[in-house]
Amino acid sequence: MEIRRFILKRLIEICIIFFVILTVLFLLFHLSPGDPVTKMVDPTMTPEDAEHLIDQLGLNQPLWLQYIYYLKNFFSGNFGTSFHYGEPVFAVILNRLPNTIVLFTTAIILSAFVGIFFGKIASWHKGKQTDTWITLGALICHTIFLPWLALLMIWVFAFKVGWFPLNGMISPEVWTNPSAGLWHKLLDVIHHMILPLATLFCIHFGSYLLIMRSSMLDTLKEDYILTARAKGLDEKVIRNRHAAPNAALPVVTSVGLSLAFSINGGALTETVFSWPGIGRELVFAVSNNDYPLAMASFLLIAIVVLLANLVVDVLYAYLDPRIRY
Amino acid sequence: MVTNKSMQLFNGSGRLYKRYPMIGRFLENWSVFNESLIGRIGLVLLAVFALMALFSFFTPMIDPMYHPMTGVDPQISNSTGPSWRHWLGTDFIGRDILCQLLAGARIAFMVGISAAFMSIVLGTIIGMIAGYAGHIVDTLLMRLADMIMVMPTLLVVLILSSLFGQLNIWTIVLLIALFRWPGVSRVIRAQTLSLKQRPFIEAAKVTGVSHFRIIFRHIMPNVLPLSLLYMTFRVTSAIIIEAALAFLGFGDPGTVSWGMMLQWVWKTGHMFQAPYWLLPPGICISLLTLSFYMLGRAMEEVIDPRLREEGEIE
Repeated sequence: MEIRRFILKRLIEICIIFFVILTVLFLLFHLSPGDPVTKMVDPTMTPEDAEHLIDQLGLNQPLWLQYIYYLKNFFSGNFGTSFHYGEPVFAVILNRLPNTIVLFTTAIILSAFVGIFFGKIASWHKGKQTDTWITLGALICHTIFLPWLALLMIWVFAFKVGWFPLNGMISPEVWTNPSAGLWHKLLDVIHHMILPLATLFCIHFGSYLLIMRSSMLDTLKEDYILTARAKGLDEKVIRNRHAAPNAALPVVTSVGLSLAFSINGGALTETVFSWPGIGRELVFAVSNNDYPLAMASFLLIAIVVLLANLVVDVLYAYLDPRIRY
Repeated sequence: MVTNKSMQLFNGSGRLYKRYPMIGRFLENWSVFNESLIGRIGLVLLAVFALMALFSFFTPMIDPMYHPMTGVDPQISNSTGPSWRHWLGTDFIGRDILCQLLAGARIAFMVGISAAFMSIVLGTIIGMIAGYAGHIVDTLLMRLADMIMVMPTLLVVLILSSLFGQLNIWTIVLLIALFRWPGVSRVIRAQTLSLKQRPFIEAAKVTGVSHFRIIFRHIMPNVLPLSLLYMTFRVTSAIIIEAALAFLGFGDPGTVSWGMMLQWVWKTGHMFQAPYWLLPPGICISLLTLSFYMLGRAMEEVIDPRLREEGEIE
């Protein structure tokens, strides 16, 4: 019951934050140099089409009315037409969203679990060789420059060794082949996904491991661990059942706190690997001055970040019985 | 235990420590810092990069062809591998990669330190005000902080550069600073909240000291070490954001940064043929980030005595 109220409260907060973002973006759009009409309307459009679009977006109205139009259009999913694709922006970005979510969540979940596991091992062998090597590896993963790592991955595993495709998400010859089954297509996507996934995994894995390690070291000093030892419990049971679950909580928090950072990384990874996701679409739109697409992708990313934050909060409350909202 | 020369210096006779408590405290902190291996490695790495940044001022003086941005070798018009003339080779129009690398160090330091400094100043002041004032001011400022914290800085700067056109390096620095203060201000706020309960603040209030003076004379000296610690972490994030921005092609076109070099090697399609060009900028960014991170970790031990017994990464 309480958790439901908490979610509701957070949802209202999210709505307010999002509303502020929406307004700030509108203001920035009108504050920036250049005519809003030329920014929103594709120069290659026919005059009638352009007229229609201007009417629809309310660009010939006074500013306050434009704001109302802007909000109305936003909530009815009308973001204008992309210059580059010539399609409604909404359709374009909705198409890209699942690709991003698949790549992103897989990477985060995988790296959180592996990070927690190795962090546990490292802290257990504190000061020994195992610890040194694991921690050193994590440090390198944590501080390596992401786009460079992505380039290296492509260079080594796609170009030199040739195990994986250079970029993209699907190979057309598989997807246009009518005899290829679903299983075949799925394997093709996974084959393309491994390198970007490995890149994102590396970056997150390092920081989660470091957090888990230091949190575990703190937990091991707690009284209840001493009690468990005094009871003569098996060391493995103490490590895995008593210490690790509690120590893993800060990792969950850090997943939430570093979400903005992860989204940056996601956009970079998608761009380097040409993974057709929303982050790449934003970068692409910005470099092509495709304003409707850029603004809509940014807003969608903002929604995703805010909702993901909520998910992490709820997960945290679920994992830690001490926290009841 | 800490036993080295600097400790003996101020423990022994105690005169130096008495006359200059600042020096004594510095030496004490320094000896703690010096104990940690990662702190020393970080400092050495940092010194190397600082030297690189320093050298970047001299290379164009040797020969104009070594200018990182405009210097083109008259005999070379494409990317070539390392040679005596160009130790790390040249880029696609014959500019020296080593010189670009040195210039990149300068830009990285400039961006990192100035952005971190600004965000720390902003974060510390906002954190202190929020913690000290409490009530509605606190709520408003912290909500603002929460809001900024969830925004992915890189993408925000990206969308701003699409709206306002090509951003120059100082605008980028300013934007990074504007979006990176919330983390700091939260920590500073928590610290201020606990300081507020201490008797010396009460005493100051009773004697009628103004709020302004309490914040800046009584609270600030106590939170400053923490701000300084956060500065090292902010330096890394500022460097990374600037490099990523340049990598995506939205950097300041008038500067040569490591991110820019990576963009050139990537966009001109030399990635697979020119490892001598692909590897150095990435190694430099990663190592500089690593050195600031190590420095921060070692400083953490100096500032937070609880971490001293263990918790250090070796």
